[in-house]
Amino acid sequence: MYNLLRFFLRYYLFIVFISLEVLCFYLTYRSRHYNQAAYINVANSASGKAYKIFHTGVDYLYLRSVNDSLVAENAALRAKLPESRLDNKIDSVQMHDSSGRYVQHFVYVTARVIRNSVNQPANLIYLDKGQLQGINSHMGVVNSNGIVGWIINTTPNYAVVMSVLSKDFKVSAKLKKNEYFGNLHWDGINSTTATLEEIPKHVPVKIGDTIVTSGYSDLFPRNIMIGTVRDFKSKADKNFLDISVNLSTNFGNLSYVYVVKNLKRNEILTLDSLTNKND
Amino acid sequence: MINQIPVNLFRFLLLLLAQILIFSNINFSSFVNPYIFPLFILLLPFETPRWLLMLIGFFAGLALDVFLGSTGMHAAACLLIGYLRPFLINIITPKGTEFEISPNVYAQGLTWFVIYLGIGMLLYLTFYFLMEAATFYNFLLLLVKIILSVIASVVFMLIFLFLFSSRQKRRYV
Repeated sequence: MYNLLRFFLRYYLFIVFISLEVLCFYLTYRSRHYNQAAYINVANSASGKAYKIFHTGVDYLYLRSVNDSLVAENAALRAKLPESRLDNKIDSVQMHDSSGRYVQHFVYVTARVIRNSVNQPANLIYLDKGQLQGINSHMGVVNSNGIVGWIINTTPNYAVVMSVLSKDFKVSAKLKKNEYFGNLHWDGINSTTATLEEIPKHVPVKIGDTIVTSGYSDLFPRNIMIGTVRDFKSKADKNFLDISVNLSTNFGNLSYVYVVKNLKRNEILTLDSLTNKND
Repeated sequence: MINQIPVNLFRFLLLLLAQILIFSNINFSSFVNPYIFPLFILLLPFETPRWLLMLIGFFAGLALDVFLGSTGMHAAACLLIGYLRPFLINIITPKGTEFEISPNVYAQGLTWFVIYLGIGMLLYLTFYFLMEAATFYNFLLLLVKIILSVIASVVFMLIFLFLFSSRQKRRYV
């Protein structure tokens, strides 16, 4: 009888163990699906605050106030670059447009990185700006060296970026010299390397060629630096090249980034939905 | 007997801070990810009932998850070593050994501790990295990552132990 009781006691512990593990798996599974991450929002607010406090100390080394003014200036300058403009000129056969040739297409919001990692299978970057500063999901993030990722989640004062170094990250990229485009994603191993796919075999590629954003996605302006060709392979059983890309952004020491706001995004989304409706 | 609750609570906070502010920020290489937080569970008093070990493991892991953004994964791994700890201690401790209140590096000896932490962390990190990598299937790289991370974790844990263990309990045999 005593043995039987002991057996049940053990069994009971095992049941508790298994059910808690199932709960953990469920939480993990849920947090991997970013769209329904109500729970993660609460957690990020709390941890965001903690990291921010920690970083105020660390930032002294980077002379924060000087940097702040410099990046604000840079953001203003970037907004004036040709890539940030949408060509508003109408064909000569059309009427003249009195509002001028260019309107603003992209604006940049500076943000400070308060948490970052490079060694996870899905690396996330936390920023110290959020909805109150006009940052929302599905905005691109770049820094002075190249692309960084896109916003997947925001709270009133913080935002989370899915870094290029994430297995779910994909961006449309092209070879700068001949405009052939393909899909770029992280190779999953090295924090400095990504893979460019879907470039046809006949395209001449050289080691060192520059890869930039194509501008086909609504997240990034065109011609934002991504990296350079490190190596490429042409396999007999494939129609496309395997190109390995050296990322130009150094993800190990990110401190300031620019969030790209596409002012015309809603228009493109409307167009998309109209097109899909007609299908 | 010193009350174990404040001691363990302090150790929990210290290890949590060390983990999120220092060890998870090292980014030394994607193959070396030292985790010293599980030391908290491995150092709980020997007499802790198993249900309590599991609950503490679960909630402590969840606390770490909140800060590392890895919802549920550390909780699962901490729960696992909380559950397996009594078996592990039984297996590696010679029969007839007298126990202190908590595992102590001066009482149990360095060899015992290296084995204890090594096996504990091997279980923890194997489980954790497998969960994390759910969609990757490069097992060789995963294996290298686990082994290097276990070694780094154990080394840092030993440094922590020698810094913070009380020497008074030392036994001269």
